Amino acid sequence: MFLQVFYANVALVMILIGFYCIASKRNLLKIVIGIEIITIGVNLNILAMGLMENSVEPLAQEMAIVSIAIGAAVAAVSLSILINVYRHYKTLDTRKLRRLRW
Amino acid sequence: MNPMLPLLTLLGGSVATPLVGMFSRKIRFEKIRDAWAILAFLVTTCYFSYLIYSGKLPLYYAVKLEPSWASIEIRIDSFSAYMSLIFSFLGLMVSIYSVGYMSGETGLDEYYALLLTLVAGMIGVTMANDLFTLYVFWELMCISSYTLVSFRKHRWEAVEAGFKYLVMSTIGSLIALYSISLLYGIAGTLNFSELSQIISSGAESISTSTLYFIIAMIIAGFGVTAAIVPFHTWLPDAHPAAPSSISAMLSGVVIKTGAYVIFRSLYAVFFPTEFLYGHILILFGLLTMSVANIMVILQKDIKRFLAYSSIANMGYIILGLGVSTYIAHFYPSDIAAVSLALLGSLFHVLNHAVGKGLLFLGAGCFIKQAKTRNIAKLEGIGRKMPVSAVSFSVGLLNLAGVPPMSGFWSKFFIIIAMLSHPKDTLLHTSTIVFVVNILVAAGYYLWLLQRITLRKPGEQLSKIREVSPSMVIPVAILACICILLTLFIAPVLDLISGPVEALIGYLHKPEAIGGV
Repeated sequence: MFLQVFYANVALVMILIGFYCIASKRNLLKIVIGIEIITIGVNLNILAMGLMENSVEPLAQEMAIVSIAIGAAVAAVSLSILINVYRHYKTLDTRKLRRLRW
Repeated sequence: MNPMLPLLTLLGGSVATPLVGMFSRKIRFEKIRDAWAILAFLVTTCYFSYLIYSGKLPLYYAVKLEPSWASIEIRIDSFSAYMSLIFSFLGLMVSIYSVGYMSGETGLDEYYALLLTLVAGMIGVTMANDLFTLYVFWELMCISSYTLVSFRKHRWEAVEAGFKYLVMSTIGSLIALYSISLLYGIAGTLNFSELSQIISSGAESISTSTLYFIIAMIIAGFGVTAAIVPFHTWLPDAHPAAPSSISAMLSGVVIKTGAYVIFRSLYAVFFPTEFLYGHILILFGLLTMSVANIMVILQKDIKRFLAYSSIANMGYIILGLGVSTYIAHFYPSDIAAVSLALLGSLFHVLNHAVGKGLLFLGAGCFIKQAKTRNIAKLEGIGRKMPVSAVSFSVGLLNLAGVPPMSGFWSKFFIIIAMLSHPKDTLLHTSTIVFVVNILVAAGYYLWLLQRITLRKPGEQLSKIREVSPSMVIPVAILACICILLTLFIAPVLDLISGPVEALIGYLHKPEAIGGV
């Protein structure tokens, strides 16, 4: 029980760190890293929720593995869009990417 | 029939599309690939029409694996069949349209493969019977739509809008996944029927604040894709940047999938009779439509105009859901008003999917010929392109809610449900805001109609001609459907009463929905 609460809190802290990273950083690559930190936090939370005496419930393990795969797919798509952003703007600074408004 | 058939058709078709494309390039007849995608959508549409017509719902299908925890359950009830029919039908129209619209582009193998995956993801979301399967299909839909939004990667606009959409929507999905994991921690299962039993029976042992936290995260997380107002900012960028066919898909059905998940998870897991969230949804709906309707008036770009009006229409749908849950909580005996609000809301899903799909496809015809998205430069183009313009006008009149059209009836049902309790102040005030919004919306739709079709065309439009048949046919079919929905409104309402009963059924006999 103590471990479960501990892991759940660590997961929550990681999610908050990810949000802070997305909100404060100006570099697109760092925003992608922030998304990845949130993904890892959520995965950790899934495992914490399935924690038993000495192991983790199989359903939770299955969910975490599928979720890691999905996170990898999202990371791949976001990095490929990021490369195209760099080709157009020659920078990854969000302050330069403000042509879309309203 | 096997419920996995549509998913297998779409996903298998998607995997096979590059092979078909390679084959078609070898024999120098590239339309085979387009026909392949159209065929896959046609099979799916026929399957769901047959399913609704035969009435053998709900259907169950379980992928039983050896350790019992790994099995996946698929359940098609009339609500999922109804939504899937809309999704696959609009996919069919868009794939026919793409034959002409995308003919000059490169990378069409990927385009059709992603279009098939997009619809497969949406259909999977409607079929899933547990929240994690739903999440997997949800991400399948989201990832293919990110890629489709930034499909024209040689333009800065598409890339920038695609990245913005990706960041916002991914954060939304992750918030939703976090709430799903908390729900798993509370209940130890994610199956809809087991969840609802555990939550409604063990309500004393579970702290209510945690459950409300989960409800808030579900609404916020899936509400990013449903474009509820504080989370809507990706939509007006993503719709204009995508190709017109994809804008029709995004606006017609992808944002409806977000609404579907909110409908389903709130009604199936968190019974509105026990939890109070109706007034929040009503306020979100009113905020969404008011902000969007003000923003529409400021737009000069035709696709941004239509994108903002999609947000306003999502506001109507969310309002209908909010009204039904609010009445179910405070006046649980008044089933008639609950089902009327749901009927209006679900009917508006259909009207908006058909109407806004039609408008984006029609706008795509104009943009393809005139090479501009500025409304001022498109003035009078309707006189040069009669078929597209007439269909476009039908779509505008439908969404404006001009009385005989079906778009009027869906809003009317919601208003009647809201007026069923005259002493309720919240319902009363929100009716006034809703009616004002409808009138503003009717005003700007008719203004657009007047500018596109009635003005004299300018100099720069003198050489414009009608687009190719493959683009005109889906637009004309969608316009015919708008008119047919109006003429045969009674059978259509019969059709929608199935989904409404499926949702109302959760409130009264939760034990009857369990396994087979």
